[in-house]
Amino acid sequence: MKKRFRFCSMVMGAIMAASIVGCGSTAPAETAPATDEAPAAETPAAEEQPTSIGSSVEGELSVTIWDEGQRPGLQQIVDEWSKESGVKATIQVVDWNNYWTLLEAGATGGELPDVFWMHSNVAQKYMENDQLLDLTDRIASSDKIDLGNYYEGIVNLYQSDGKQYAVPKDIDTIALWYNKTIFDEMGVAYPDDTWTWEHFAEAAAQLTNDQHWGFALAPGNNQEGYYNTIYSMGGYVISDDKKKSGMDDPNSIKAVKLFTDMIAAGSCPDLATVSETAPNELLNAGKTAMCISGSWMLAGYRDNEYTSANCDVAVLPYTSSPSDRVSIYNGLGWAAAANTKNPDAAWSLIEYLCSKEGQLKQAELGVTMSAYKGTSDAWVNSVDCFDLNGHMKMLDAKLVFRPYSRDTTVWEDMMIEKLQDAWTGDRPVEDVCKDIAAEMNEALAEE
Amino acid sequence: MKKISARQKSEFIWGWLFILPTMLGLIVLNIYPMIDTVRQSFYKTGDFGKGNVFVGLKNYEKVLGDSEVWQALWNTVKYAIVEVPFSVVIALLLAVLLNKKLKGRDVFRTIFFLPMVVAPAAIAMVWKWLYNSNFGLINNVFHIKVNWISSPSLAIYSIAVIGIWSMLGYNMVLFLAGLQEVPRDFYEAAAIDGANGWDQLIHITVPLISPTIFFVIVTRIIGAMQVFDLIYMMIDLNNPAWKKTESLVFLFYKYSFEQSKKGYGATVVVVLLIVIMILTGIQLIGQKKWVHYS
Repeated sequence: MKKRFRFCSMVMGAIMAASIVGCGSTAPAETAPATDEAPAAETPAAEEQPTSIGSSVEGELSVTIWDEGQRPGLQQIVDEWSKESGVKATIQVVDWNNYWTLLEAGATGGELPDVFWMHSNVAQKYMENDQLLDLTDRIASSDKIDLGNYYEGIVNLYQSDGKQYAVPKDIDTIALWYNKTIFDEMGVAYPDDTWTWEHFAEAAAQLTNDQHWGFALAPGNNQEGYYNTIYSMGGYVISDDKKKSGMDDPNSIKAVKLFTDMIAAGSCPDLATVSETAPNELLNAGKTAMCISGSWMLAGYRDNEYTSANCDVAVLPYTSSPSDRVSIYNGLGWAAAANTKNPDAAWSLIEYLCSKEGQLKQAELGVTMSAYKGTSDAWVNSVDCFDLNGHMKMLDAKLVFRPYSRDTTVWEDMMIEKLQDAWTGDRPVEDVCKDIAAEMNEALAEE
Repeated sequence: MKKISARQKSEFIWGWLFILPTMLGLIVLNIYPMIDTVRQSFYKTGDFGKGNVFVGLKNYEKVLGDSEVWQALWNTVKYAIVEVPFSVVIALLLAVLLNKKLKGRDVFRTIFFLPMVVAPAAIAMVWKWLYNSNFGLINNVFHIKVNWISSPSLAIYSIAVIGIWSMLGYNMVLFLAGLQEVPRDFYEAAAIDGANGWDQLIHITVPLISPTIFFVIVTRIIGAMQVFDLIYMMIDLNNPAWKKTESLVFLFYKYSFEQSKKGYGATVVVVLLIVIMILTGIQLIGQKKWVHYS
C-alpha cells in the first residue's frame, strides 16, 4: 500500500504538470473549451458550440462568422443563393475571441472554413501567408463585382502585392447614442449636428446626477471612443507608412484628455465601473445619458425593450468646423480559404453576397450597412424605433479608416493596458501617451 | 540471461496490449505536444507554424527580464496561497461532518459537489454579477461599495474565493473516500479515553488520512498554479486589476493565441512547468515528515 500510493501521487503529479505544457500545441483543446461553455449557458448560439472552426467538405460550403446578431439575416441571403446554385451552405457563429484563435489553428492545420469574415487586425498576415484564395482574376471576369463601387479603405485593406483577397462586406460608422428620457428630465436639448466636442463635454456634465452619468466611455474600444476624437482634433494614431506612432502628437493627447477630464469631473463613470458593466449595458439600463457606439450595435439596442423605447442616435460632434467631424470606419471582407475544396462555389457565394442585390438585401434586412456605395439607404428604414440617420449621415463625415498595421493587436492591447493609468488619473495623460508612442514604435519596428 | 517462459511472454504481451490505448493517448495528446512545446520555446515562431527561426536561449533571457512574467508568477502564487489551504481545510472539516450519521447527508454531499459539475465559465458569469460593484447582489444586500473584481489589490483574492467555492466538493469527496478506510474502533477507544471531537480529528483522522491529504494538496497546488478560466472570464483588458490578476497560463494564452507569439508563449509555460516541478519536488521530500502510510 505504502509504495503504491506514493508512486501514484508521483505519477499523477508528473502527468498533471506535463499536461499543462502539453497544451502548448494542443491548447485550443485544453484551454478554449472551458471558456466556450459559458456562452452555451446563455446565448442562442448554444446549439452549435464549435470544437473546430468548420472545415471544408466536398459539395457543401462552411461559412464562419463571429456575430450572432447578423446570422439570421445573412442565413436568409445565403439560403437564396443556395436555391440558385444548388449548393448547401451553413453559417456557424464563433464569438470574436475564439474566432481568431480557432481561425489561426485552422490555418495552421490547413482546415479553414470555405468562406469567412476577414478583419483589418490580421488581414495582412493571412494574405502574406497565402491562406486566402486569390480573387483578383475572378473579380476581373465578374460582371457583378466592380471594386470601384465599394468604399476605398476597405478595398485597399484586403489587397496585398496587387492582389485582392477579399471583397468588402459592410461598412460601419460611429455615432452618438443618447437617452431621450434623461435629456428631457434634465432639460438638455437633444444632440444634433451643431454639437462640438466641447459642447458635448458640457452637456455630459449637465446630464449627470446621482442616478446616472452624462456619458460612458468604452476604454477598451478605441473605435467607439478616443480614435474618433484623435482624428477629429488633428492628431493621428499611426503614420501612413505604418512606421511611426502618433500617440505623442499634442493633438492626440488633447483628444484623450477630453475623456480623462470627464472621468475626473465625474460626468463619465470611472474605469472600474465600465470594466464591470460595459457602456452599452449602462445605456440599456438607463444609467448613462450618452454613449458612443458603432452601427454594428444596432441589433442589441433594437432588441432591448428599454433602449428601443427611450433612446435615439445622432451624429458625432465635431471639433472646430463640421468638416472635421470624424467617423473611424472599418469594414469586414468576405474571404475564402486558399485550399477550399470548392473554390468556384465559394467565389459564387462571395459574388452573390457582395453584388449590388446582396448588399441591398443586407441593408434592408437590417444586418448592417453595406460596403457597396449607395445601398445603405434601406438600412435606415430597417427599424422604426430609432432614427438611424445619425449613423447614415456619418457616411458623409470625414471617414478615417481604423488604424492598423501588420500586427495590430500587439500595440493595440498595449495601448489599452497603458491607457488605464490615464483613465484612473494615476499618471498624467501626456506621460502615458508618450510611453505608448515609444513602445508602439518599437513594436512597429519589429513587424 | 534467464530464458523467459511462454507464460511470462504472453503476460508481457497482453500487459502491453492493455495499456496501449492509454499509452497512445498519452503520447499523442500529452508527451508529443510537451516535447514540441519545449522545442518551440527555443524558436521565434513564424505565422501559421511556418518560418520558425531558432533563437537559442533568447526567449528565456527575455522571460527572466520580463517584469510582466514575474508579476504573473506572483499573481499565480497569491492565488494558490489563498485557494489551496482554504479549499483543503474547509473540505476536510466538511468531509468529517458529512461522514457522520446525519439527516439529509446525501443531499448535503450533492449540494457541496454541485459547483464541480457546473462549467467554470458559467460559474464565472454568476459570480461576476454577484461581485459587480454598482449593481451586484453582494454590494446591494450589505449596502457597501467594494470593487471586488476591479480593485487591483483585492481582485485576485475575490477570484480565489470562487476557486475555493468550486473546488470544495471535489476535495471533500476525496477526503470522504479516505475516511472510509479509518477503522471505527479508533474513535471508540479514543472516546472512552475522554478525547473530544477536536482531539479525535487532530490525533486520529488527520494522521490516518494523511496520504489522501497529501495527494489533494499536491494536485491542488498544481491545479491552482494553472489557474486560467476563472480569470479569463472575470477580467478583461479594460479592468484596472488586469495586471494584478493575470496568471502565468493567462500570459501564455495571451502570447500564444492572441498575439501569435507561440515561441515566447511556450517559454512562459516551460517556466511554469519548472516552477510546478520544484514545488512538487519539495512536497515529495517534505511528506516524509508528516505523511503516514499504513
